[in-house]
Amino acid sequence: MNRAHAVAAGSRSGVGLWGRVRPAMLHLGLIVAALVVLFPFLWMIVTAFKQPGHEFDPQFFPRNPTLGNFRRVFSEFGFLRYFGNSVVVAVTAGFFATLFAALAAYAFSFKNFVLKNKVFAVLVASMMVPGLMYVVPQFAIVKKLGWMNTYRAMVVPHLANVFGLFLLKQYMDTIPRSLVDAARIDGASDLQIWRRVVVPLALPVIATLFLLTFQFHWSNFLWQLIVTNKQSLYTVPVGLAMFKQAHEELYTLKMAASAVSIVPISLIFLFAQRYFIEGMTKGAVKE
Amino acid sequence: MKPSLIRDNISAYVFLLPFLAVFAVFLAYPLLYSFFLSLNRETTLVNVFENLRFVGFANFAALLRDGLFKWSLLMTLYYAALIVPLGIAASLLLAVLLNSKLRFYKAFRTAFFLPYVLDLFVVGIVWTFIYSPHYGILNRIFEAFGIHAFSEQGFLGRPSTAMPAVVLVNVLKGAGFGMILYLAALQNIPDSVYEAAEVDGASWWQKLRLITMPLLRPITLFMVVVGVVAALNAFVEVFAMTSGGPSVDVGGRAYGATWVAGYNLFDTFYIKLKLGYAAAMSYVLLVIAIAVSLVNIRLLRPRTEY
Repeated sequence: MNRAHAVAAGSRSGVGLWGRVRPAMLHLGLIVAALVVLFPFLWMIVTAFKQPGHEFDPQFFPRNPTLGNFRRVFSEFGFLRYFGNSVVVAVTAGFFATLFAALAAYAFSFKNFVLKNKVFAVLVASMMVPGLMYVVPQFAIVKKLGWMNTYRAMVVPHLANVFGLFLLKQYMDTIPRSLVDAARIDGASDLQIWRRVVVPLALPVIATLFLLTFQFHWSNFLWQLIVTNKQSLYTVPVGLAMFKQAHEELYTLKMAASAVSIVPISLIFLFAQRYFIEGMTKGAVKE
Repeated sequence: MKPSLIRDNISAYVFLLPFLAVFAVFLAYPLLYSFFLSLNRETTLVNVFENLRFVGFANFAALLRDGLFKWSLLMTLYYAALIVPLGIAASLLLAVLLNSKLRFYKAFRTAFFLPYVLDLFVVGIVWTFIYSPHYGILNRIFEAFGIHAFSEQGFLGRPSTAMPAVVLVNVLKGAGFGMILYLAALQNIPDSVYEAAEVDGASWWQKLRLITMPLLRPITLFMVVVGVVAALNAFVEVFAMTSGGPSVDVGGRAYGATWVAGYNLFDTFYIKLKLGYAAAMSYVLLVIAIAVSLVNIRLLRPRTEY
């Protein structure tokens, strides 16, 4: 018993030569992996600072670093406008998608209503439909509504986020019923209960859902490409696609525009990664 | 029904209204409308939706004879066959490296997950630059090792490497997602299980095969589904990097080496403006997706035999 325990402890906590070599090898593996995963982004950033025409210089660090590429994408090529459009679309869509999901989740978590199980089943089933499937008919509907080339067209069709509804419902189910019952006995209406009790308690998940929907709309490229053909309404990825078609050879500018476009999501992710990771993986595998 | 019950129902549906309204108009109705579209063909290029002609199941019949459509399904299968094993391998590798909880554990986890939240189109643009022929950085690295196979056409311009190159981009971008799932599963396995196995004399390989692998099985199955869904939805990466190309000769016909189903759908509907045909196509893809989901539900259902 004693000997077996010692052997087990030895092999797990790492004594001897292997115990010292192992962490070093693991660290080396981690560093190599991080370089492989992050290299494209590092290369994009350094290229964005290179002089036009020197994009293929093999030196990692640019020889005469310049901010000119950034200046030109913003002033000459309209990316300031595209950036603004992306912010408007992603913020409004994120806000309303989260709001609608939070309202509906309250009904599913705290209320009983006719057809509750049937409605729930339909929503679950809809999650099996791949996103691409909707593109053709949604485009037809937007066109018939006369919404082409509007922010509405970019935002409204994606405001019913079924995954988000489940995420919030799941969390609201853990809120003690007694809290809500107490508020109800005190004469609070559903809207008051929602606003004063449920939303404050569910705030972390609500924040998560807002971040996820913001991120989704920031990169909802195909849809934004389809419903706009006016330059003044391009979002960053659409502007980038058009820029790519027109100026295939202007690599330093393309990299500058790309770098700018990933800044907001990267920053938000670095400051709120816990919410991102929890939200994105929670729906994945349920225990 | 009691008045209080009616009031309760009304208030519940008021909460549901915004969500269900959008759901009905932009998610439920489109499926029906899409089916209607699939039974029609457009007769003009302007005001397409007002000038439709009913053709019954002709679109579906045409799909069965459509070589390009079949090719796109084949390429989707190829995409899935690449992304499933590569995605699982990359995620598992990162998870195992991180599971030792070394120093800077959190910084590495952040680094690996970050690409997953970034815009796939932008990532595709950056990789196109890296994959460039001649002076592209990756080709230069290969040339430094004496490999000149990619000097002329780059990695995306060669039919044999275009699809693996596209898939690799998605694997590296998405590996952080699978990593988190595997990491959580690995950390859920109590040390005492391994210790007990060691007491019984289990080898390193036996522990991996008999303890670790079975406990990771649900995640691995889930990763298979994620990979298949990614293949069915693949479009943005192809649009950003290859536009479906490069061209390959298949029995005298030119097909695109990365012409996946999602790109074929986009091309049919947005470039060729064949809406009815595209709608029929998306129905076929929907049936495939549902079949995959059902297999998934069957496989992931918790086993009850203990």
